[in-house]
Parts: sequence; C-alpha cells; structure tokens
Amino acid sequence: MLLEIKDLAVRYGGAEVLRGVSVEVEEGSVVTLLGGNGAGKSTTLRAITGLVPIASGEIWFDGRRIDGLAPQKIVELGVRHVLEGRALFPYMTVLENLKVGAYLQKDRGKTAQMLKDIFVHFPRLEERQGQQARTLSGGEQQMLTIARALVGGPRLLLLDEPSLGLAPLLIREISKIVRNIHERGVTVLLVEQNTRLALDVADRCYVLETGNIVACGLTQELIESDLVRKAYLGA
Amino acid sequence: MDITGQDVAQSIINGLCMGGTYILIGLGLTLILGIMNILQFAHGEVYMIGAFTVYLLSVLNGVNLYVAVVISMITTAILGLILERVLLRPLKGQFLSYVCVTTGLSLILQTTIMLTFSKGTKQLPSLYKGSFEIAGAYVSRERVVAIVIALLLTLILYTFLKRTKYGLAMTASAQNREGALMQGINPNLMSAMVVAIGSALAAVGGALGGSIFNLDPYMGGLAFMKGITLIVIGGLGSIPGAVVGGLLLGVAESLLALFFGAQMGIILPLVLVIAFLIFRPRGLFGHD
Repeated sequence: MLLEIKDLAVRYGGAEVLRGVSVEVEEGSVVTLLGGNGAGKSTTLRAITGLVPIASGEIWFDGRRIDGLAPQKIVELGVRHVLEGRALFPYMTVLENLKVGAYLQKDRGKTAQMLKDIFVHFPRLEERQGQQARTLSGGEQQMLTIARALVGGPRLLLLDEPSLGLAPLLIREISKIVRNIHERGVTVLLVEQNTRLALDVADRCYVLETGNIVACGLTQELIESDLVRKAYLGA
Repeated sequence: MDITGQDVAQSIINGLCMGGTYILIGLGLTLILGIMNILQFAHGEVYMIGAFTVYLLSVLNGVNLYVAVVISMITTAILGLILERVLLRPLKGQFLSYVCVTTGLSLILQTTIMLTFSKGTKQLPSLYKGSFEIAGAYVSRERVVAIVIALLLTLILYTFLKRTKYGLAMTASAQNREGALMQGINPNLMSAMVVAIGSALAAVGGALGGSIFNLDPYMGGLAFMKGITLIVIGGLGSIPGAVVGGLLLGVAESLLALFFGAQMGIILPLVLVIAFLIFRPRGLFGHD
C-alpha cells in the first residue's frame, strides 16, 4: 500500500469530525472519497498532509509513519495536496507559481524539463505564463493548481474538490486531466462532491458520512449497490 | 522670513534622504508583517542597535565607517535570527503574546543601550564629506550617498524576491501561507530569513539616520512610527509601495516643516495616514 490510514480520529474543539476512518490507497490507483458537505472528506486529506492534528490513529505513506510530521516534511516525501479553494499565489505570475511548485527540486535542469513537460499537457498555461494567477479564469486557475502540484513530481496526489465552481464542460476536462495524471503513474486520492466525475475516474471508492466510512469497494460494485445509487446518483 | 526656491530644493533633498532611511526600516516591517503576520514592535530598536554598533566600531574603535556598517548589518541579522528562534517561533499564532513580547523587548533594548553607553552627544562620522551645488542649493554629499545606498539595497532586495528560489518562496508564503506549505516550503525558514534580512536593512537605516542626527537610545520609536506610516501610504507587502511611500513621507515632512514649522512636519503625515486608512486602506500600491 502506498497510503494507509488506520482508525483515524480528528477533533475540532470538542467535536469529533472523523472517527475510525481507515483508507487504503494502492500504488498506481485512483481512489475517491465520496460524501456530502461536512462528511469529513477534506479533513481526511488535511490530516494526511499534517494540516490538522489527529486525535488518534495512524497514517502510513510508503512504509513510513507520517502522522505527526511537519507538513513540509510530508510534502518532501512525495505527497502533494491540491487544496480546496486552490490556494494559488494570486499576485505572482503563472510561471512563478509553477517555479514555487518546483521549490524542492534542487536540480535546475530537471525543473526546466518538468516545466516543459507541464506546458505540453497544459498549453493554456504556457500561453498565460506571464499573467498574474488572479487574472486567470476559474478553470485555468484549477489547472494551474494541479500543474503546480505536478511540477513537484509527486508519487501521491491529493485532489480536494477540483470541480468546485466549474462549468460542466470544464468538469469533463478535469476528469481527462485526472486520467492523464493516472497514466503517468501518479497515484491519486480524489475528494469530490461531483459523484459522476469521481466514479468516472476512480478504481476504488469510499463513502464517508458524518465522519464514518459507511461503504467501500471497487467503483463498479458500489455503483451497483443501492446505497450509492440512492444517495449519490439520485436513481 | 522669506522662503526661497533654494530652501525648497534643499528641503526636498533632505526629505529624500530621510525617506531613504524610512524605506530601510519600513521594508523589514512590511516583509515581516506579510510573512509572519506580526507587527515587530522592537524593529525600531533593531534600527537603533544597528546605529550604535556602527558608533561602537567606527567612533570608539576606529574601524572604517563602511566596514563598520557591513559588520553592523551582519551582527544585526544574527540578532534577528536569535530573536526569531528564541522569542517569536515559540509564540507562533499567539497574536497578543507577540505584541507583549516585542514591546517588552523594545524597552529592554532601549534600557540596555542607555546603561551601556555614556551620556553625551553621539554622532556618526560623515559618510562622504563635502557638498556640491545643484539648482542653487547646497547638497551635502553624504545625503546623496544615503539615498543611493537606500535605493541600491531596495533594488537588491527586489531582485532577490523576484529572481531567486528563496525569494519566490518568501513572496509565495506572504500571498498564501497554506499554499506555500503545500509546496514543501518550511515556514520557520521563511520567518528566520525575513527577520534576518529585515533586521540587516534596519541596521543600515540606523547607520544612515545616525550620520544625519545624533544617536540616542530612543531613536527607534520615531523610526518605527515612520515605518508604519510608509507601509500605510505605500501598501502592505509592496516594495515599490515602500519606496514611493518612504520618499513621499520624507519629502512631505521636510516641506511641511519648512512652510509650517517642525511640529507640523511631524503631525501632518499622521493626518495623511488617517486619511489613507479611511479612503484608501490598501495604500498606493498594495492589494486588498
């Protein structure tokens, strides 16, 4: 397992936001966490990268226990987190945003190669490389956040609601991008409220409800199960 | 008393020169505020210590003035590193503690310097002796040197922030802390760097200020005020804003003092601050 979450609990103030959450992500797979607003999807991702302290449980990445490590150390190990709301550097240019994404890369030649590679996949970003990030459209901003994470050469990519606020056409674009990332050998853990997008790209899927995992399995099995159909596909 | 064109030219040059020292103190404050989200209330005392270090080296021990300024930059940067590690880092995120600790530190530093150095007038030697005439006004060379040094250091800082990996990482941290963290940027390293750089710049500001005015352990208080003023005018986190804000403030003070007396020269810029806070809180160059 590339990522293994065992019996994770997270508390905010007195309230338990997650309890007993266990998730396994196999290397090379796309796994999705489904669930409604406030189910604890984002919190799960934030616990993985050390942005929220955990109350109990363990998180393992590539055979190393990572809970308790500083966020930048977890990133150094090869985990990249595309935060909800994008977290771009708004007054820096597209190119500068990408360069900061390559902050950990010490070899300048490799950084240049990575940037070239990214621009092949995101030609729009190349056209706009001199523009400030805040002047991009919503879809372009989302591409930039994903591209910024990819420049860092992650082994595991955590995507938090990449479709949020995007038009349907762009959502299809995002699912293409996720498949493309997967083909490059990057493992993906995707959090989505857009169930169709998530089921479209994921191999395995977990369903979170008020801080508990209520269902998990292969995507195909879950689609056929009543629970997911009723709750998330409206059928 | 008649005010001649010559007086006006003279006071503009003096104002630009004062503006140079304001810029050097303001840059540190604005960077520290942007990246660490704290107002460093002892930053004026860092400026003061920078000036006294130069005094100790050059006047009392005969070290070359420019060498003394460089040594002062380095020691003050180290002081900044210690300050960040020992006082600021353990209090991370506790806003009120930051205010108390840095305010307390400023009092401690003032008293320490007062007790260490003997009483009496202290001044730094001239950076560059002599004067020359420009548009009928006599300009002392040291004032021009002060402006040039301030602008040169600002330019170096700007280039560092725009062109280097660590500079970009610092800019990024100021614009989105969590976003920067997720690129693997160590926030403690950024804080240490920004306090060290800001302190070194303040030390040069102190040295320039100290070659124009007398040195005194309380000189930092007023300098701190000027730094805050120029941040409000120029816009938080903006380097061009700090430069324009600093020069504008210096010249405004100087001209107002010429026309309405020295007291007005101090009061009116503060009125300007209030006006900015009400009508344009993001300053000239800042973003929302």
